[in-house]
Order: sequence, then C-alpha cells, then structure tokens
Amino acid sequence: MASLTVVAIVMLTSAGAFVVASRGAGLRRAALPGAFMQALDCLGLAVLFLLGNLGLGLVLVLGLRVMTGRFISLYILNDATLPFLSLLQALVVHCWRARSK
Amino acid sequence: MRGLRLLGLAGLLVFAAAAFTPLANCLNAWMAGVASLEPSDAIVVLGRGGADSDGILTNRSLRRVLRGVDLYRDGLASLLVLSGSADETRSRASLARGLGVPAAAILSAAPARTTGEEAEAVRRLLVPLGHRSILLVADPIDMPRGRALMERAGFTVRPAPTAASGPSQPEARLSLLKDILMELAAWAYYRLTGAL
Repeated sequence: MASLTVVAIVMLTSAGAFVVASRGAGLRRAALPGAFMQALDCLGLAVLFLLGNLGLGLVLVLGLRVMTGRFISLYILNDATLPFLSLLQALVVHCWRARSK
Repeated sequence: MRGLRLLGLAGLLVFAAAAFTPLANCLNAWMAGVASLEPSDAIVVLGRGGADSDGILTNRSLRRVLRGVDLYRDGLASLLVLSGSADETRSRASLARGLGVPAAAILSAAPARTTGEEAEAVRRLLVPLGHRSILLVADPIDMPRGRALMERAGFTVRPAPTAASGPSQPEARLSLLKDILMELAAWAYYRLTGAL
C-alpha cells in the first residue's frame, strides 16, 4: 500500500507538471517522447557510472588488502550514496554533451 | 546511444521491480530456506555490522542476538555462541545477560572480520568441547553462505533465520535487494577463492 501511495503521488505531480509545462511554459507536447528517451540515455549513463564505481571500488579494496596486508571490508561499497553520486556524474556528462552540440 | 538507452531502460525496470514489487521479499524468503528449529548443542549467532563505539548494535546485529536469546529461552540449546567483531560480541553478550541468559551459557568466539573467519573461530571454540550440531542464526540472505561455511567447518547446521518476510516499504525493499546483490557477490568471491 505504501509503495502504491508513492507511485500515485509521483503520477499526480507528473500530470500536474505536464499541464503546467505544456500550457503555462509553452513546451511542445510532441517533444515529450524525445525527452523521455534522453532521460533513458542519462539513466543508462548512470548505470554505467555505477558499474564503473563498483568495479573500481572492488579492485581498490582487494588491491589494498593484498598490498598493505590490512583488512578492508567490501561492505564499504554497499553504500546508498554510490547510486546517487553515479547519477550526479551521469547528469553532468549528459548536460556537458548537450551543451557541446 | 541505443545501447545506453537500453541500459537506462533496464535500470529503470530493475528499479521499479525492486522498489514496487515483492521481488526482494521473494528472494529473501528463498535464500532463508526452511528453518529447522530442533535441539542442538549450541546456538550460533553470526555477526552483522558490528557495534558503534558506544556499544550500540546495528539493527541486524540486534535482531540476530534477540533471535538467539529467544531460541535459548525455548530450550533448544544450552549454549549461546556470539561471533563477530570484539565490540559486537561484547555488546551482544551484555545484552543477552540483561535478557536473562546466564553468563555461563554465553560463549564469545574470537573476533572475526568475515563470515569465513567466523566459521573458523566458532570451530575452534566448539569442536574441542565436542559440540557439533548448531542452530545457526543469521539474516535470510546470509544463510546460504553462512550455512555452507559452517558445514565446511564440520558442523551439522540447523538454520534459524531471522524474519524472512522482508520489508514492505519501497526504500527498504531497494536496500534489501542491494544487500542481496552484495551477498551474491560475496558468494561468488568465496567460490572463486576456494573458500566454498
């Protein structure tokens, strides 16, 4: 039930944003599918960054274990900030690419 | 670009399935297996997450020790073995004593940093005493690896997982799926290094 509430709230604000953007801000409705595709591109980039961050983290932790002989837990990679920071990396690259065109 | 888009779509679908469906709960219950609550030589409570410097246990560590105390009170074993880091076992032992478990019935295994080290520490503690059957207390997702390591250490293992139903909030489900993926990676690592 709680999960459905969250989905319902997001759907309502999305519908509201659609109305405000298309009528108030004058955004073209026909451009929405393209915007969705661009968002998917950005999300794909975020997934790539996340996999890269996890892969590099794994190599660093295991490498440091071998080189220093000290135990470093792999659980440090199990952190909620990593997906968020990966998304931030993707957003920056996505915007950078858009401004470079 | 097309590959990136498909990857984004896949990420979105995984996110939606993880947060808004019982996928993580089903995996959680599947990994827990079937509990086998039968009289054993000892109840072994695996560590999870340690304790803060003020001795406060993590949520999961707390859940596990409470489960262990519960099994002890049910008379399923005469020994409660606590493993994990030094801080964690100290805090857990203190809590168990406070909940009425006699100090003589509580054994603390040598400090360990990984599940593999815990299995070895528990083996060194219990096998010389002739104790070979254990009720293993761990989170559902940690049970397959914990059980395999304990069996490899020579124990007859009876799983006693903490609650296997899992959370219902989207954020908690996401967190659970993250932990499941981490545990599967740990399983793969143990397999690759020959620890399992």
